Amino acid sequence: MASAGAYGGREPALAVVGNPENRRVRLFTEAAVAAGFAAPRVVPWLDVLRAGGAEFGPHEVVRLDSPGEHPEVDRLLRGTDDPTRVEGGARWYARFTAAVGSLRGGVRLDDPAELAVLFDKRACHQVLARAGVPVPQSPTSGGAAPLRGWADLRALMREHRMPRAFVKPAHGSSASGVIALETASGGRLRATTSVETAGGRLFNSLRVRRITDEGEAAALVDALAPDGLHLERWLPKASLGGRTADLRVLVVAGRATHVVVRTSRWPMTNLHLGGARGDLAAAMAAAGPAWPEALRICEQAAACFPGTLAVGVDLLPATGWRHFAVAEVNAFGDLLPRLTGLPGSPAEGLDTYQAQLAALAGHIATAAPYPPSREHRAAR
Amino acid sequence: MTLTHDHLTEYGGLPVVEWFSAKDEEKNGPPTAGGVAWRISADAYESDETWAGAFARFAAAVDLTQVEALIVGAWPDMYESGPDEVVETLLGAREHLTSLRSLFVADVVFEQCEISWIVQGDLTPLLAAFPGLERFGLRGGNSLVFPPVRHEKLRELVVQSGGIPAEAVRGIAASDFPALTTLDLWLGTSDYGGDCDVADLAPFLAGTRLPALRHLALHNSEIQDEVAAAVAAAPVVARLETLDLSMGVLTDEGAAALLGGQPLTHLTSLDLHHNYIGAEVAERLREALEPAGVALDLDRDDAEEDNGDGTVWRYVAVGE
Repeated sequence: MASAGAYGGREPALAVVGNPENRRVRLFTEAAVAAGFAAPRVVPWLDVLRAGGAEFGPHEVVRLDSPGEHPEVDRLLRGTDDPTRVEGGARWYARFTAAVGSLRGGVRLDDPAELAVLFDKRACHQVLARAGVPVPQSPTSGGAAPLRGWADLRALMREHRMPRAFVKPAHGSSASGVIALETASGGRLRATTSVETAGGRLFNSLRVRRITDEGEAAALVDALAPDGLHLERWLPKASLGGRTADLRVLVVAGRATHVVVRTSRWPMTNLHLGGARGDLAAAMAAAGPAWPEALRICEQAAACFPGTLAVGVDLLPATGWRHFAVAEVNAFGDLLPRLTGLPGSPAEGLDTYQAQLAALAGHIATAAPYPPSREHRAAR
Repeated sequence: MTLTHDHLTEYGGLPVVEWFSAKDEEKNGPPTAGGVAWRISADAYESDETWAGAFARFAAAVDLTQVEALIVGAWPDMYESGPDEVVETLLGAREHLTSLRSLFVADVVFEQCEISWIVQGDLTPLLAAFPGLERFGLRGGNSLVFPPVRHEKLRELVVQSGGIPAEAVRGIAASDFPALTTLDLWLGTSDYGGDCDVADLAPFLAGTRLPALRHLALHNSEIQDEVAAAVAAAPVVARLETLDLSMGVLTDEGAAALLGGQPLTHLTSLDLHHNYIGAEVAERLREALEPAGVALDLDRDDAEEDNGDGTVWRYVAVGE
């Protein structure tokens, strides 16, 4: 692991922008201290939002962590402090990217322009597709086709011969607002989602349900559409132990380091929807000679975001475990507690935070310069 | 409710090997023949290849006369149209498939096509065309028809479905399978076309058309209690080695009928997993059967009651 001495004799001072009470910040702080760094300065998102920005010293190495799971931060970003509400994605995106842009100075482990892409599934899809990363076909890639509601959705599905599709809020995360949609002749339809409607408002529930009534599905899509929707072909996923499986692959400094297999009875594999961690050895065995290709694709996806130290790639194994496609790339995809790195990877034996700390020096050496702090500019 | 189930990994005692898709064939080189159960698939959605096309590539590369087990995976648009092309293709290859002993149609999981959306059809021409077949199975009950047949060699018949139409159940029941040792029917629910009633099962329970039957599974049924009650008094039970009433809506009522019926202590196993049996009745079942050496599976699995609007909802294991 890199020691604090690896920075040209100057001790790097770590800073984290996050929600101080959140376990993400705690876990990173613990890992940093254990690795010989001084305890990171924690800059709360709440302060950033209230003050309209934050300043970092030229030698501060700045990590951004998720602004989620904080009612007041949520209220400022999304306009609601109810964490189960689905709406507000567009507002969240505008305010979050603005908040990121209000951070000044320091050496950054992210890139504001890349974050803006990572939190827009339509933009992210286009970046990946243009780089030759296998992705499910999408008519809304890069915002190509407008998706203003149910009528647009059905037209796009028809036009692109896409009877099964995933509909995702452009700025959502953790399956929030996601609908897996199947259609067939004779008006047959089935939507699988965790979204509940109550009093005209949308909530994420912990329960996946099926909708077969077109009117109900249409109302749901129409309610989600104003925040932006992304449409992707539904690739039949591989199974493992009788459950649908996909992979979360953390890529740190260009290398796939940590892999979690997620399995579910449902088309969505998120843990809060009843998904479970699957058996990595079984997944590797199922993929067989295709396994290195799976990791290579994740690294290829991460390479689209060279200014970001670590991304979590959601990789879909197609039925049979021979082909793969990237479903999403997550900027804050490193919350994988107690998981150690792949044998043979640079992160073997390290958790996701230790692996990033070990890769800091190399990343900083190549990081693009950032807008200097106001202080710095004033001194010039 | 469970939506998924795995692909077959073994069939007819042979490990299942997926036949290469067109784009993988070059990468993998020519296949090794024999000793495996081949699964041949197109894509259910947006397929680039017909099922006949996939089979033609298979037939060109593998000595069909050596093939003992075939598994039909997905065929194009299987949620819209039945396996006519599959049936025609296999009928066309009958003179070459001389060693075929095991055949399964529609081994797909819900990510490919959900079980209640699989459109089946009449597969019995395959039974007529392959008199040497010993094992036959299929998944999906939609549009399934099964006119009565006679087959001298068939030892195992499996129908996995969220609902087998009553007419198909009656057709199977009116068939003669003198060699059949294993019958496994996922009866399903009326929501998904499984509309048989317990009287339709009477021929199985009498067993006269199934003189060799040793393993009986009448399960995944919304009328599992009634099925259990009928089984409790069924003549066929005395010669069974295993009985499977799992995956359905089996409650204390059905379990009590089993306890009050003929002795089941001669069974090697009684599978009741996924059930709604209370602790007290479950204990009575254990006391009655386990000392006699019956392997009893009472795992409730994911059988969960829903209480809504004053109504208790109970589900079979596989519906949608």
